[in-house]
Amino acid sequence: MSDQTNNYDVLVVGGGIAGEETALNLANIGYKIIMVEKDLSIGGKMIHLSKVFPTLDCSACITTPKVSETARHPNISIFTNSEVGEIEKISENNFTAILTQKPRYVTEDCTGCQLCEEACPVSVEDQFQYELVGRKAAYIPFSIANPRIAAIDIENCILCGLCEKVCPADCIDFTQEAIKTKINIKSVVMATGYQIFDPTIITRYGFGKFKNVVTAMQMERQLVPTRPFNAVLRPKDGKMPDNIAYVLCTGSRDDTVGNPICSQVCCMYSTKQAQLLMGALPMADVTIYYIHVRAFGKGFCEFYNQTVGMGVEYIKGKIGKIDEAENGDLIVRYEDIESGKVKEAKHDLVVLATGILANRDYQSMFKNIVLEPDKFNYVKQVNDLSSPSKTSIGGVFVAGTASGPMDIPDSILSAGAASAETASYLRRAYNEK
Amino acid sequence: MKTSKTIDHIKKIRTVSEEVKAKRKEFNTIKRTLLKALESGPKSIPQLAEEVELPIDVITFNIMTLRKYGDVETGEIDDSDEYFSYQLKQKK
Repeated sequence: MSDQTNNYDVLVVGGGIAGEETALNLANIGYKIIMVEKDLSIGGKMIHLSKVFPTLDCSACITTPKVSETARHPNISIFTNSEVGEIEKISENNFTAILTQKPRYVTEDCTGCQLCEEACPVSVEDQFQYELVGRKAAYIPFSIANPRIAAIDIENCILCGLCEKVCPADCIDFTQEAIKTKINIKSVVMATGYQIFDPTIITRYGFGKFKNVVTAMQMERQLVPTRPFNAVLRPKDGKMPDNIAYVLCTGSRDDTVGNPICSQVCCMYSTKQAQLLMGALPMADVTIYYIHVRAFGKGFCEFYNQTVGMGVEYIKGKIGKIDEAENGDLIVRYEDIESGKVKEAKHDLVVLATGILANRDYQSMFKNIVLEPDKFNYVKQVNDLSSPSKTSIGGVFVAGTASGPMDIPDSILSAGAASAETASYLRRAYNEK
Repeated sequence: MKTSKTIDHIKKIRTVSEEVKAKRKEFNTIKRTLLKALESGPKSIPQLAEEVELPIDVITFNIMTLRKYGDVETGEIDDSDEYFSYQLKQKK
């Protein structure tokens, strides 16, 4: 097994749940892994979720032990705030790549005391709370980040130096620069995840213009213990909502926005959020506007039935337009598919069940070879029935939502398949020697 | 405490954009305005909107931000269970 500096068995691109699962499976059987994560923390999107469907288990409680295990594993080297590029296939079991570690301006000795955060006079929108609240330019990304090390958002820093003055552990280092390193690897697993559909594209829904139209991820953040507000509130005026609507298929199954496929998770995460909202706001009415409810997984249909039984109203309706009343309430104009009539309903908060899109970052990571996309721009599975993690490049595998929309258990299953295929690829070469 | 400051190094190679400077100034002004308005006692966001000349969504965003930064804390909810009040956090 590779053990010299810059030599690894497997490059895992992406530190979300699929990347972690792949890395752990392979590291546990002795392979040396380099995990490259573009964000400041590993954990992917799952670490930001409240609960998972249909069991309503705490998402962070499932993912943080895996995050910690990945971070502490002796066979896994993690590079956060880093990118990988120029991946070149020299021959089978022989790849090179360029790792770029971007400066964090804080050393690894940071204790996460947050004194720099307290001292920083700059406030910008917090991307980890989906812009519902501010954060400082010197900041810990989020409370359960791993590594829990501060970072300086240099683009928004006013270079006042207060963070450096107050840091008791002497960890602020503005001399840091990007470091490029050539790495040698034997195989690659793309676990680059997905992107969330940007609903500003559908202007008739008013997202961005009407503050009480939010995305499902913004609602998700409102439902976690580390939420941006003190309760579930409307972002416009801080009112506790009592009549909430969900718009399913926002950016999914919609050719007009270039995404004709189902995102596979929106029906169920909306159903989950509806249940959580009924717990958080017992007096609230929740309405879900849908085209079809797709409750296809184990226990999903029962979960849906339970939600209907709790009083959540499902209306088969297509939303034409959302307008804002003077008091911030929202007028939802929709086609009632059952009756064929155009109707209007008033809600005080609208949640857009935004879909999943391919993360196309992988397309620029390769140098002498093309990692082929499928027709929806996900990493192409060349044999999705018999070898679902194989890609167009031998020795490069795909795990999780990099290959298409799927929920968390399926991402973990997919990572299992990718790690087995990778181990088989590496082992075959070893046996042939 | 460190003797040499690395901030001096980066100051030589980076400049702060006017937009970033303006954003910082804007936050300071909003912060001062909101904290001053809360000096007379706890207020809900609509009550603050009546008192200060800021759009209500800007007030909500910044009250929540000041709450996160530890300058403001949540008070009681009103009788209709609609709006919480917010108050200055007592510094220990």
